[in-house]
Amino acid sequence: MIKKMVSNLEEGFISLLLISMTLLVFVEVVARFGFNTGIHWAQEATLLMAAWFVLFGASYGVKVGAHIGVDVFVKIMPVNKRRIVTLLVILLCLVYCCLFLYGSWIYLSTMRMIGIEMDDIPIPKWIPMSILVIGFVLLIVRFLQLAWKVMNGQANGLSFADEAAESMKIAKDIQNTALGKDHNKESLSVKGDKS
Amino acid sequence: MTIAALFITLFFCMFIGMPIAIALGLSSVATILMFSNDSLASVSLKLFEATSEHYTLLAIPFFVLSSAFLSTGGVAKRLINFAVDTVGHIKGGLAMASVMACMLFAAVSGSSPATVAAIGTICIAGMVRSGYPQSFAAGVIANAGTLGILIPPSIVMLVYAAATEVSASRMFMAGVIPGLMMGLILMIAIYIVARIKGLPSQPFPGFIQLARSGVIALGGMMLIIIVLGSIYGGIASPTEAAAVAAVYAYFIAVVGYRDIGPMKGVKWQKVNENFVSASIRNAVQMLIAIPKSFTDPEVRKVILDASKVSLMLLFIIANAMLFAHVLTTERIPHTIAESIISWGLPAWGFLIVVNVLLLIAGNFMEPSAIILIMAPILFPIATQLGIDPIHLGIIMVVNMEIGMLTPPVGLNLFVTAGITGQNMIWVIKACLPWLCLLLSFLILITYVPQISLFLPEYIDQLNGY
Repeated sequence: MIKKMVSNLEEGFISLLLISMTLLVFVEVVARFGFNTGIHWAQEATLLMAAWFVLFGASYGVKVGAHIGVDVFVKIMPVNKRRIVTLLVILLCLVYCCLFLYGSWIYLSTMRMIGIEMDDIPIPKWIPMSILVIGFVLLIVRFLQLAWKVMNGQANGLSFADEAAESMKIAKDIQNTALGKDHNKESLSVKGDKS
Repeated sequence: MTIAALFITLFFCMFIGMPIAIALGLSSVATILMFSNDSLASVSLKLFEATSEHYTLLAIPFFVLSSAFLSTGGVAKRLINFAVDTVGHIKGGLAMASVMACMLFAAVSGSSPATVAAIGTICIAGMVRSGYPQSFAAGVIANAGTLGILIPPSIVMLVYAAATEVSASRMFMAGVIPGLMMGLILMIAIYIVARIKGLPSQPFPGFIQLARSGVIALGGMMLIIIVLGSIYGGIASPTEAAAVAAVYAYFIAVVGYRDIGPMKGVKWQKVNENFVSASIRNAVQMLIAIPKSFTDPEVRKVILDASKVSLMLLFIIANAMLFAHVLTTERIPHTIAESIISWGLPAWGFLIVVNVLLLIAGNFMEPSAIILIMAPILFPIATQLGIDPIHLGIIMVVNMEIGMLTPPVGLNLFVTAGITGQNMIWVIKACLPWLCLLLSFLILITYVPQISLFLPEYIDQLNGY
């Protein structure tokens, strides 16, 4: 229940950021060509959203296996060995997160003390930059969860995005809609198109 | 010493199965901590800047979004119909049409495996029914599918532009002629094979049918025209063109083609419906459909899928920028370049080394990851040897194409095996003759830089530089 809510929240937030970035740039282009005006804060806002999108999304990517990696070598290992290697990988990932978390924390607290504002949007710079800390904390949480799963035997390794498998979904989709019904040459022609 | 530390950590982390983004970040941070005086705080700032100070990088999520909307079976079918009507009546026409459909779909979707899956599922079956050998059909599609990363708009090229800071528009221009050329080479080879083997041709459907399927396919092809037209015309930057493309792709998918979303299956004109009432009905339905699509599960899934891919790419790029920063501050490429020059290696010899290195790397990693790791190293060396950065970029992209067809990570091989139901050995054998064609094309691209450089230089001249 809570798991589903957190998932929905994460997915909603990431999608919202992507849509807002796209629309903001689109509206800016339209404003420039259609009405000869610009939105002076648009570029800064878009870039900040991009930073939030990436740093917030990184942890979501670990959860759903959206990242890519080289797994041809670990896949041929026996399960027990693979689990140990995976735990080592997670440990190193945690080291990475902690180093950045520590660095971000120091940087943010300094920024907060000095109190510099953004260039175009009148807010102190440390507020949008806080995503660094938030992002790495979330990343640590996700890696700890994964480590727990590996130790319990629920998972063997990190799951990576598989573009080939993703593409096969399109193939399945086509087979189900067009080729399933008629096996003659007609399947090459479109049904229900613009006419 | 620094070079060794950086690369040993990087490759160790990568080969034990760490996400590439984190492997790049961790090896960079480790090197910085060991060999330089930068503080962790400044490194964290660099990471934030990498995600928030590169406006051109935003073209990547926007293009990913637009291709997610258009990478559907429906779009594939429309493009195939158009291609079959155009070249189907030549000998071996169905195979040529598949190549053409692959080129069009690849440009729209930007993804090689998705192209093979979408076009291959329909075309391989169609070709086999018309009497083509299955291995011939599979080989053609698997190879033509790789054109996706060479024909602009291409995400791999944007990644190269991000890694080397060359202009993305110039990269896009440089890809046009090689992309068309490779397509043409494939078609000529098909024609020769078709003549020898006596492969069938389709009846010509007539110009009315050709115009009809052309107009229908134009909905998808407009995306290429919008993007390339606005970039080449100097109207918009790649980022802006990509945002417009994403919004356009949404409208075409949801309102125009109606493959996904709230208007799925609604006809433009029902039987016995007159034009006026159909227009009014469509207008009203569209107005309702646009707000409705925000809650539509299919539309949301497309956006979420695009988000996953883009955040993965952008997170790697952010870390790769850190990696590139370490490379430059430690002067690693310069050290390598100096030793290469002191060996007396000429430019052509260096290009052979580059090709071999990239072909090997292509066996283990995905294109964008290879480019992000290799480009910052190769780029300064190439500049010192007098090789144009754009030319180097095209060489790298063509190498990545070949990487899609070589085991163990050749994505196109997996997809082709999946859709034909054959095993990997069979697929590799089917692809092999066409792969040789691709390899000779690589040699051509490598040693005739004008193929890549002609169009960007010509357009520069037009603009008066």
